Amino acid sequence: MQENNISTGNFEQCQKCSLCETVCPVMANNPDYGGPKRSGPDGQRYRLKNGIFYDDSLKYCLNCKRCEVACPSGVRIADLIQQARIEFSQKPPRLRDIMLASTDQMGPVASAVAPLVNFSLGLSPVKGLLDLTIGLDHRRTLPKYSSETFVHWFNKKAAARQDEFKKHISYFHGCYANYNYPQLAKDFVAVMNAFGYGVHLIEGERCCGVAKIANGMIPAATRDAKANMNAFSKSLVKGRDIITVSTTCTMTLLEEYPELLKVDNSSIKEHISLVEPFLYKAIASGQIKPVWKEGWKARAAYHCPCHQERLGLGIFTTELLKMIPGLELTELESNCCGIAGTYGFKKENFRVSQLIGKKLFDDIAAAAPEFVACECETCKWQIEMSTGVPVKNPVSILAEALDLEKTSELNCA
Amino acid sequence: MKFDVVIIGGGLAGTSAATELQKSGLKCILVADGLSLYNCPKNEFKAAGGTVLQGDRVVSGDFEDGRLLRVYTAKLGNEPLEAGQFVLATGKYFSRGLVADMDKVYEPLFNLDVEYDADRPSWFDPSFAAPQRFLEFGVKTSGALALKGGVPIENLYPAGEVLAGVSSAQGDATEQILNSARQAVRAIRKTDYAGE
Amino acid sequence: MPSKNEFDVIIIGGGITGAGTARDCAMRGLRVLLIERHDIATGATGRNHGLLHSGARYAVKDSESAEECIRENKILRSIASNCIEDTGGLFITLPEDEEAGFGLDYQQKFIDACQRAGIEARAISPSDAREMEPSVNPSLIGAVVVPDGSVDPFRLCAANVTDAAMHGAKVLVYTEFIDFIREGDTIQGVQVLDTRTGVKAEYRAPVTVNAAGIWGHGVAEKAGVHIGMYPAKGALLVFGHRVNNVVINRCRKSADGDILVPGDSVTVIGTTSTKVPFEECDHMEVTPDEVRLLLREGCALCPSLASTRILRAYAGVRPLVADDSDPTGRSISRGIVCLDHETRDGVKGFISITGGKLMTYRLMAELATDAVCRKLGVNQACSTAETPLPGSVDGRIETVSKRFEGKVTLGQKGAAGRQGDLVGKLRFDSDADKQLVCECENVTLAEIKYAVAELGVRSLGDLRRRTRVGMGTCQGTLCIRKAAKALAQALGDPSLEAKLAADYLDERWKGMRAVGWGDTLREMEFMQRVYKFEKPYSYDEI
Repeated sequence: MQENNISTGNFEQCQKCSLCETVCPVMANNPDYGGPKRSGPDGQRYRLKNGIFYDDSLKYCLNCKRCEVACPSGVRIADLIQQARIEFSQKPPRLRDIMLASTDQMGPVASAVAPLVNFSLGLSPVKGLLDLTIGLDHRRTLPKYSSETFVHWFNKKAAARQDEFKKHISYFHGCYANYNYPQLAKDFVAVMNAFGYGVHLIEGERCCGVAKIANGMIPAATRDAKANMNAFSKSLVKGRDIITVSTTCTMTLLEEYPELLKVDNSSIKEHISLVEPFLYKAIASGQIKPVWKEGWKARAAYHCPCHQERLGLGIFTTELLKMIPGLELTELESNCCGIAGTYGFKKENFRVSQLIGKKLFDDIAAAAPEFVACECETCKWQIEMSTGVPVKNPVSILAEALDLEKTSELNCA
Repeated sequence: MKFDVVIIGGGLAGTSAATELQKSGLKCILVADGLSLYNCPKNEFKAAGGTVLQGDRVVSGDFEDGRLLRVYTAKLGNEPLEAGQFVLATGKYFSRGLVADMDKVYEPLFNLDVEYDADRPSWFDPSFAAPQRFLEFGVKTSGALALKGGVPIENLYPAGEVLAGVSSAQGDATEQILNSARQAVRAIRKTDYAGE
Repeated sequence: MPSKNEFDVIIIGGGITGAGTARDCAMRGLRVLLIERHDIATGATGRNHGLLHSGARYAVKDSESAEECIRENKILRSIASNCIEDTGGLFITLPEDEEAGFGLDYQQKFIDACQRAGIEARAISPSDAREMEPSVNPSLIGAVVVPDGSVDPFRLCAANVTDAAMHGAKVLVYTEFIDFIREGDTIQGVQVLDTRTGVKAEYRAPVTVNAAGIWGHGVAEKAGVHIGMYPAKGALLVFGHRVNNVVINRCRKSADGDILVPGDSVTVIGTTSTKVPFEECDHMEVTPDEVRLLLREGCALCPSLASTRILRAYAGVRPLVADDSDPTGRSISRGIVCLDHETRDGVKGFISITGGKLMTYRLMAELATDAVCRKLGVNQACSTAETPLPGSVDGRIETVSKRFEGKVTLGQKGAAGRQGDLVGKLRFDSDADKQLVCECENVTLAEIKYAVAELGVRSLGDLRRRTRVGMGTCQGTLCIRKAAKALAQALGDPSLEAKLAADYLDERWKGMRAVGWGDTLREMEFMQRVYKFEKPYSYDEI
């Protein structure tokens, strides 16, 4: 009796110790935000009584989930806050939020006219206009769009040879790798191919929906989630596990689908893996063997993204990177970079976003690495914009450090 | 993943034991399920090369012939943490190192032997300010080792508030906690050198 | 010119009956003194479900009580909107009830009896019941909807006291009745003791009303009058949050632990019924067996209670009264007992009002006040059924919370819910006033200052009864220190802080001890650490 608590998000296991408040990056920088305890478990108790106790300041939560990592009671604090926003927020999303959130709908349009979009997004007058009209902060460097999407490139250049491999995986590329940074996806294909895995797209892949969730577009996010679950189950029929590169997409697929969107993902949960744990386990168990480039050397600092911290899988990235003989790796102290997906793009959040990231930026400056290793695409934008230090995804680091040819010879025989 | 020592619990006992052990050249991993009420920065441990799993919790372990072979965590799933030695520093009730239900107190991770009284009303003194018996409960030990079914587990060392008789809720117990951690560290070092 | 120690009527007991009687008497123009040895609402008034009965529970066996309940239910909804929540109620039939002879035939009998008593009751399908209240035991085979609700007894009692005072009544809390002043066969007043200062005093009035609940037995003895009373202990459990939003009852013969009431931010299950000796009435402890029984029965109403945190346990004492018409004294009288001791016992100037229920307090007060007026030869009609209580003129949180300027904070909304339309009296002059002292229950410093200035608060327990300070999940772990400091300052004596905190910690500890396991025990360890470890960790200072 009384052992398994069933309150939503375990909210009543909260002991009110307030340790979550000590790690909340927003609370430290925005006095209008009540903090995770009050917005989450405290607020939930009163919202159950009367929806009038919903507080609009919950919008300041950047859903970094650091509170959940800090909580000694297993309360899903950030989920409670997101759920309350879904349930009680009366305000429909603004045009700007819809544009930011619809990564999959903006992407194709922008990619089609990428040079023009990138050129104009870089112009001060245009940024000023965006600032004034839709509330995108003009100080922010906006992500560039690629003129050729990854999918287009893959179908043209890589798809044909994938069936030749003995082992196969499905690749959830996500919006970022497809529209903004296809090179990451290309690196992924190169690395996986070298290790002997055929890479296959997931037919009918949609945006994971995280930006839509963050911007209150729940019906649209739920449609994406259901479509993805459908697409995944087809991939699983073929016996292929689903490998992801984006931390946040992965967290969304694994955690937010059932918790926030109430989309059951139990059938696929065991078959989705981030690329780093997947490769680490395969190398550690001897299933695949890396051959490293002679003389490759680099000095990097690893920043663990908040959502990676929440997933608890950062150890696989560091252990994987530590396998690279020429890589000198320091681990940065765990801090939020402040961008939190679309949060930092919004005019009203820019100042707080940069304040939150300051500790991390200072630590990076002090470590003075050649580059920062980090799994997350939005951390990359924020860190590169704020520090000028390049950020590389571990997959891209592997692509550089591996002798792909020799690795391929060893693994594809 | 293989380590020399897995330290379960990131409070005062766990963090200080982990730091000492890592510094003495043992490869350590610290599993910290949430923050501790003791402010326990892990910088020194990490700087010495230690690995921290913050926000993860050990959920089970495999025993064989009176030894703990490996433990599993909630987030690493089927990837075990294997080690020669284990420190159990999960604290008392608040940090869920001990769980109380209506008529018993147990150690939830490995079901180790726990010292407690089955008569619940006797756990408390009516005066809030008086010493409270429930804070005295904790795992039993033989030397530095934990007991399970009356038998010592030869590589599992409890430390800190999970131990019977140790509690920071009755007043400052910092020294007592650090001493228990030192005892575990000494015992582990002895075993480790003996094994070499 | 009468002296300041002379009144028309003295009322002994600051529970809901005494408070209601004081209000009624004051509204009829009498000069009233109300004395209470502790704080208001400390006896059975503050130790029950907080159920606004529809009367359905009594419909089959006691139609008179049922009719009283539904009449008063409707009245309270109109005069005490700030203290009432219209949750609705369900009477469910479970498969085991059917086996015990309380199946759907009984349900029909129950509905018929309700309708005869004027209680709207209609059967709904099990699936409709599950939709109406998702936490209800899904295996139910029948359900009846009735107009039950929940009532906040602290708020109701405080509103009556406030209104009595606004009509000129003198209210003395922490003032204990010692003895009567008697002249032959006439009660002429009372001797009292200020329990804080130890100073004795005398007050005189031609009529004294004994409204002391179970303690009224002892009060009557002092007048040489015997009322056959039996203390019946009722234990209850408070769950950590609102598990249900509709009152859930069992549609069968009334038994232990068969009512689950959502009240404010929690859910309460109760109650048991055990006769106890008079000596125990001041020191009720809830036993492990009572806790087990309540949990078992609670889970039959709502299975998720099995895994819901229990914040605390408490027990009250019902004043059961032997029926005067039964010479053996064995049968218990139902409903309200209003005794004029002049006709009953030959003692003049003395009335006892007892029996009854929290929610029939107004009617009890009316009957007692009628008796007082008869004795005094006053001819004034009762108007308590038509006049809203303070805070309830416009008592809805939705409208009241709109009165604040700018963005309404959680603390202001919380206060609006508790203080109703009196919330305008709170002064949010500085940022500190807006700061939450109790984060679980959204209580600001401004509300604490208001409670001290206007609601007669002397201790943190008093403050809890006016504001819910320390009633939430952490049971005061986070706020007692802050609240003690704020209260000591508001009382003008900062040196009181430690004593205020220590008393309240013991009181909170008592309720937690009875349910000290699981997450509650975790909280208890944390609470010990916060108050016993010199440098626990940093707090927000007010």
